[in-house]
Amino acid sequence: MNLLFIIFAAIVVVSALGVVLLRNPVHSALALVSNLVGVAAIYAMLNAHFLAVVQIIVYAGAIVVLVLFVLMLLNMKVEALKRHEKIFYTTVMLVAVAFCAAILPILHQFFGEFNPAASLTIASGAAASGAAALPRVEGTVEAIGKVLFTRYLFLFEAASILIMAALVGAVMLSHRVSNANGSSVNSGPSTDPSTTVRS
Amino acid sequence: MDLLISFLVCFAVFHVAMVLSAVCTWIERKGSALMQDRIGANRAGAYFDTPFIRTDNLALKPVAFLTNVLVIGPAFSVIRTLGMLGVINTLLCDAVKGLTKEDFVPEGTSRFLHNLGPVLATVPIFLAFAVIPVAPNFTLFGYHVRPQVAHLDVGALFILAMGSMAVYGVAIAGWTGNNKFSLLGGLRAAAQMISYELAMGIVFVTIVVVYGTLDLYQIVERQQSLWGIVTQPLSFIILFIVGMAETKRGPFDLPEAESELVAGYFTEYSGMKFLLFWMGEFAEIGLFSLLLTVFFFGGWHLPFLDLPAGVWWAALIGHVILMTKVMFFCVLQIVIRWTLPRFRYDHLMTLGWKILLPLSLVNLMFYAALKLSGVL
Repeated sequence: MNLLFIIFAAIVVVSALGVVLLRNPVHSALALVSNLVGVAAIYAMLNAHFLAVVQIIVYAGAIVVLVLFVLMLLNMKVEALKRHEKIFYTTVMLVAVAFCAAILPILHQFFGEFNPAASLTIASGAAASGAAALPRVEGTVEAIGKVLFTRYLFLFEAASILIMAALVGAVMLSHRVSNANGSSVNSGPSTDPSTTVRS
Repeated sequence: MDLLISFLVCFAVFHVAMVLSAVCTWIERKGSALMQDRIGANRAGAYFDTPFIRTDNLALKPVAFLTNVLVIGPAFSVIRTLGMLGVINTLLCDAVKGLTKEDFVPEGTSRFLHNLGPVLATVPIFLAFAVIPVAPNFTLFGYHVRPQVAHLDVGALFILAMGSMAVYGVAIAGWTGNNKFSLLGGLRAAAQMISYELAMGIVFVTIVVVYGTLDLYQIVERQQSLWGIVTQPLSFIILFIVGMAETKRGPFDLPEAESELVAGYFTEYSGMKFLLFWMGEFAEIGLFSLLLTVFFFGGWHLPFLDLPAGVWWAALIGHVILMTKVMFFCVLQIVIRWTLPRFRYDHLMTLGWKILLPLSLVNLMFYAALKLSGVL
């Protein structure tokens, strides 16, 4: 178990570095996939099967596929990215520092004094003893469902409304773009009249 | 001993996947020939003289005669029959040919990603077999055997996850082809798989609502008296169509439309890497047939046949029943593939987004209402 944790943690760290350091955006996206799958494996080792599977379905299976889809459609050249390299790296560094500053108090709360070796032992120990230490609830899906629809019901519904609003917004935006282009883009002779944008 | 049992179970389940994909390959080749009034593969291994043992030694003559009649004669007639049926051609010759062909990588692309494409397209499909129970649990020599590699309480979701991972294989394959046809094929495949995954996910939710569990073994056991096809016929129809679209075959083979895109996303692949895509495709047919059987056709249950639970021969009969149903669906998918013409691309998207998705949502609402009112 401990060995498995180290392997998956190494995959997560190396691929996370790959996301940032690789030159080709498609390679970065693929490194992100391997990162997400590695995190899912660590979830699975903590007996959170549902979380692991949902991580793969939602992040690795849907979101990054769309990212990759767009990257492949745009077919970006590495040279084009190099032009804004300086601004890009400055922004990235600033964001990274800000994120670390934000996350340090939480880390401190968990592990006390910052000590990489100790925290690794704690984390791997938690992963290793996960099967034994966690109370075996009757299927983690039921447990998560119950908590989600009782204690966190308001947050759950708020998040769903937020996503719904984003969805409607995306539809509205694409509507406006196709209207600005005129209907000739959408209504070719072969297109079904019901699929073209009205108004 | 437990480790040995799990190893044997893994081996058996992997064997099921491999044999399903091999048999599907053969049915595809020979069945399509039958359907198109051709003869099909019938040469390799079909025409040769049986190498009978000849000897001048009088003392050895009876031995040679007996060996000829009892072993060599029957064995080689079996081989010849297999050759005439095209089995040797499709399963042996093509594999050898694939393994010995030049491994071609197009210029200006990453060799690593080019190799990764077929692996990512095939491995998730075989991984998805891990959560499918291929026979009822049984006890043999006092050891309890569960013929299912991973007994997950999220089995149905795991299959969805693996299905969504398979998109990467075709997308990468299309991208590393480094030409327009491959890229278009890969993009089409990715778009098609993402679109039909939505309807598939909602059908899975409906199934979970009806059976009240995500565990595939429990789902089968709950159909002992009444098969799922009776209680939810619409879910079956939607999942069947989605399955055909997810395998990128049949009327949904736009990603590899040979009249427009050469061969779509695997245009630049040769040899064994090309065959890996085929293997993955046929394994996916087997996977979807298994899923349909497990979700809607009672798995190893037959009406009016009550097999004793936990006995090894009953498990064996159950496995045969399951595989017979699975083979029926495999053949059905192949027949549909060779019967229906290809969709137009906007029709494909309309079917996925405007027909199947709303239909599956209505279906879900209907069964959720039934469940809430206590009918189910």
